[in-house]
Amino acid sequence: MFGLIGHLTSLDHAKAVAKDFGYGELAEEGFELWCSAPPQIVDDITVTSITGQKIHGKYVESFFLPEMLALRRIKTATRKILNAMSHAQKNGIDITALGGFSSIIFENFKLENSPQVRNVTLDFEKFTTGNTHTAYIICKQVEESAEKLGIDLKKSTVAVVGATGDIGSAVCRWMDGRVDVQDLLLVARNRERLEDLQGELGRGKIMDLTDALPEADVIVWVASMAQSVKIDVEALKKPCLIVDGGYPKNMGATLKHPDVHVLSGGIVEHSLDIEWNIMNTADFELPNRQLFACFAESMILEFEKLYTNFSWGRNQITLEKMDQIGGASVKHGFKPLQLSSI
Amino acid sequence: MLQLEVNPAALDYSSETYKDAYSRINAIVIEGEQEAYDNYIQLGGMIPESKDELIKLSKMERRHMKGFEACGRNLSVTPDMPFAKEFFSELHSNFQTAEKEGKLVTCLLIQSLIIECFAIAAYNIYIPVADDFAKKITENVVKDEYMHLNFGEEWLKANFETAKEELQEANRANLPIVWGMLNQVAEDAAILGMEKEALVEDFMIQYGEALGNIGFNFREIARMSAQGLSAVK
Repeated sequence: MFGLIGHLTSLDHAKAVAKDFGYGELAEEGFELWCSAPPQIVDDITVTSITGQKIHGKYVESFFLPEMLALRRIKTATRKILNAMSHAQKNGIDITALGGFSSIIFENFKLENSPQVRNVTLDFEKFTTGNTHTAYIICKQVEESAEKLGIDLKKSTVAVVGATGDIGSAVCRWMDGRVDVQDLLLVARNRERLEDLQGELGRGKIMDLTDALPEADVIVWVASMAQSVKIDVEALKKPCLIVDGGYPKNMGATLKHPDVHVLSGGIVEHSLDIEWNIMNTADFELPNRQLFACFAESMILEFEKLYTNFSWGRNQITLEKMDQIGGASVKHGFKPLQLSSI
Repeated sequence: MLQLEVNPAALDYSSETYKDAYSRINAIVIEGEQEAYDNYIQLGGMIPESKDELIKLSKMERRHMKGFEACGRNLSVTPDMPFAKEFFSELHSNFQTAEKEGKLVTCLLIQSLIIECFAIAAYNIYIPVADDFAKKITENVVKDEYMHLNFGEEWLKANFETAKEELQEANRANLPIVWGMLNQVAEDAAILGMEKEALVEDFMIQYGEALGNIGFNFREIARMSAQGLSAVK
């Protein structure tokens, strides 16, 4: 059985769907209610692969809200994630994906040092960040959308914003090893990590965000934390492809220009038969046909009976692992989300 | 449960402020175990086939009580027992009324679910911030409490269909009392390094799991465990 640990996108979102979780009469309660709400299994999911194979899973709502980070309620945020993981494990789930902010919180606040949650010792083998599949899907989105836009990647400059993160570094490896882009611009906050990555790749220019963006034909945005960065759309190259793999995804709404194409990154489309209700509360254009690639990773691992933390830690994603998850992704019917109109 | 930023070294167990708060929290725990002792004996009278087991549970509660009395002595704190008696009075009275009326399901909900879940939540939150002496004692107690919770769960699960309505009614009547009790001691608990928000969440996790094991679905669980929650603010 696979599991997905998810969360709502904001307090307003939580209030709007409170009824779905049994908290109807408390919908107007403020932020504090959600700080005290326990994790819940809110959906049983059945997925049928295009191969005909059928698997079952559960959706665990952690009740983490992004406002907890914004308000620096770090203890609350970390408690939500650990409690949700404990809940998944207690319910016998074999492999659970940490969706949305869950894996970011796990990594940033080093929760691997806190495996004891009351009477449960977390078995990290049963969890995956889903980052390998997310990185693979983002790379495929770049390849396929660039081709549609007439951008020849081998002659192009690709900027990776958040290059030193788990997903960012994997994208850099792919852009170097599989695509061989002409120029790779590495953008991140930590200079030392950037130099390490540059050393590993043997290439790549370390640049500031504002200098890098106007030079890029393709921008892969995978910075892990919500940032209030203003991007000057006029300064960007035309055409420019932006794959927004950050969380939450809000670039499409702010960058409006006919030759700047923003694609939500790390999302798969699928033609699988997925029976679930919970996705109606999520923010997808087509909830029945789209889902986060990190969630899909736990489904793929379940299909393939790979009960291991396939994606774990930082900078462990190799091209071989991306090939492996990518092959299984295609086999079971997941496809990278494409630009809707060009 | 884990509290990342709490540093037990920052707590001064010998300060007057800590000891003052501890005098009430310690008294509540002692009184809670005493109430549990009495309640299990009364429950033994209501479920004759489980009488031996219930007497065994009651003896464990008595042992816990003695352990917590030792924790108070260790810090040279005199527990404020009149405060604790008053603190439990409403719940105590509801249990006695239910017992007189032969409402076994209500009695089990009060003792085996609400009180045990609250004890588990409070002890789990307390352990990381407890002094070394109390930590050892509490760690052992909490293991027993899971067993006690299990007794109520099993009985109610076996009788779920007939018990369901009374459980919901008893929950409605008693859970808001517990939330009120929590509010009364939130400041003292904070001085001991225990956050109300974490206590409420832990309680809801234990209580929700218990209700789930008994047979309620997740929407019913959320509704039941959130009942009266708005009073927690």
